[in-house]
Amino acid sequence: MNTIFIDIYRPIAILMIAAVCFAISPLVMAWVWSKKFSPRKPGPVKNATYECGLESKGAALIHFKPEYYLYAIVFLIFDVEAIFLLPFAVAFSGLSVGASIAMLIFLLLLVEGLIWTWQKGVLTWV
Amino acid sequence: MDPELKNELSRQGIFTTTLEELYNWGRKSSVWPLTFGLACCAIEMIATTMARYDLARFGAEIFRPSPRQADLMIVAGTVTKKMAPQVVRLYNQMPEPKYVIAMGACAISGGPFKQGYNVLKGIDRYIPVDVHIPGCPPRPEALMDAFITLQKKIATQHLTGVDRPRHLNPDAPSEFIVPEFGAHDLEPPKNLKLWHITSNSSPKIPSTADNNEPGKD
Amino acid sequence: MNLEKIKSDIEAAVPGCNVQIVVNGSPSGQHSLLLERQHVFEIAKFLQDDSELHLDYCSNVTGVDWLDTETSEKVKVQRLVDGVEQEVEEIRKTRSPGYLEAVYHLYSMEKKHGPLVLRQRTENRTDQINLPSLTPIWRSAEFQEREIFDLYGIIFEGHPDLRRILMWDEFEDHPMRKDYIEPNDYEYEPTPHDAVLEKSMQH
Repeated sequence: MNTIFIDIYRPIAILMIAAVCFAISPLVMAWVWSKKFSPRKPGPVKNATYECGLESKGAALIHFKPEYYLYAIVFLIFDVEAIFLLPFAVAFSGLSVGASIAMLIFLLLLVEGLIWTWQKGVLTWV
Repeated sequence: MDPELKNELSRQGIFTTTLEELYNWGRKSSVWPLTFGLACCAIEMIATTMARYDLARFGAEIFRPSPRQADLMIVAGTVTKKMAPQVVRLYNQMPEPKYVIAMGACAISGGPFKQGYNVLKGIDRYIPVDVHIPGCPPRPEALMDAFITLQKKIATQHLTGVDRPRHLNPDAPSEFIVPEFGAHDLEPPKNLKLWHITSNSSPKIPSTADNNEPGKD
Repeated sequence: MNLEKIKSDIEAAVPGCNVQIVVNGSPSGQHSLLLERQHVFEIAKFLQDDSELHLDYCSNVTGVDWLDTETSEKVKVQRLVDGVEQEVEEIRKTRSPGYLEAVYHLYSMEKKHGPLVLRQRTENRTDQINLPSLTPIWRSAEFQEREIFDLYGIIFEGHPDLRRILMWDEFEDHPMRKDYIEPNDYEYEPTPHDAVLEKSMQH
């Protein structure tokens, strides 16, 4: 049985290898051609970082603070909360006391986040 | 090969070529310009690339947004002295072989703004220009004519010999002086290796760095 | 807009200020108010806040360079000529120093009137070239005052970001001043004439 399996898939495997070679060979040829024939003329300006013609200043790898966590919190409050609130409201009459308390704690945590972001001035537009 | 023999062979259905011809044919048919416009001439340049004039017919369909992938710089518009160092730096960052078309009166000489305090009087003061197109702005047909002129120039370049193009000559420079911002003017105000004027009484067309063709003025 | 009335309003609102009307003799007849430096800021604030004028929009700020002017007039003087007292005509020259000027064009978007043209002048053209900036009052003046600083060299005190805007930072001249000497790069002139011919002949 094993030999039949190999016999069936051998042509496919060969075709796949051929296809990959067919795709890669022009790239390899172009690479070899560029290594061999391209007129390399490196220079300090040519090798400099491309900054739309301006001289680059300082290091590119610096830390900066995007403060993206604020967007994440606001997204959590206004989008995820709404998604959870709808099933909560639909199933409200059939819920046990424990489930209601758990949901209210969840809401309380999000409200706390809302108050915190509000105090930070995130909700102020410009 | 004797051109008559070649002609005869092609009539019989046998196509012959030389490596030089093939190489130049490949190069001239895929000249990719740099996406780069400075003023109103850039609008005509954009029009040239669009469907009505369609520069893609000549192999210049892709305007590359990075000098690393571009072959041709179309200096389209007024070059201010504040912009000139950036233009030269972009040109320097292009890989060889690279060509320059100075499009419009401003790029050639400063044009109508020549006497302005911040206008460079021709980009050929800093970089070698292959084709000059007059006009204010030149029509798309003029830009296409310049492009075909450039293609003809590429087609006649020899791979070997004294008059081989700059990119095949290891001694020829690939980078040109980037002017510095000075207290009163750019420093230096012109690249003397590119810009030769003997005297003003007998004005001469400024020669370009590639001495194999004077260019179209 | 009645300039006389605005002038008296300003003088009533800002005590101790001296406002002059600069008459424009051209057909447009766009007269303007010349303000003193020490009161400009208060006057501008008044013009913006006044309920009747409410000039809330500064559309244009321009610089003007006025060179030193020399006026000569003929005066008859009694003088001893060859021992006899005679009346002789003499030419007297008076030199008035030049100055730099900043001109503001104000409009009111709300009241739909304008323009009111304000002028303020520096003491001279060389060392006392400071003027109060009106950018804190009209934000639209920011870039235009920067441009005047760049091209005329007027230093606006109180401007939030006074840097060159058109020329590079290392540049030292002020190109729109009338005595600016541009670098002579007219080496190659196929068809020179007039000023360009003179410059190209120097090469």
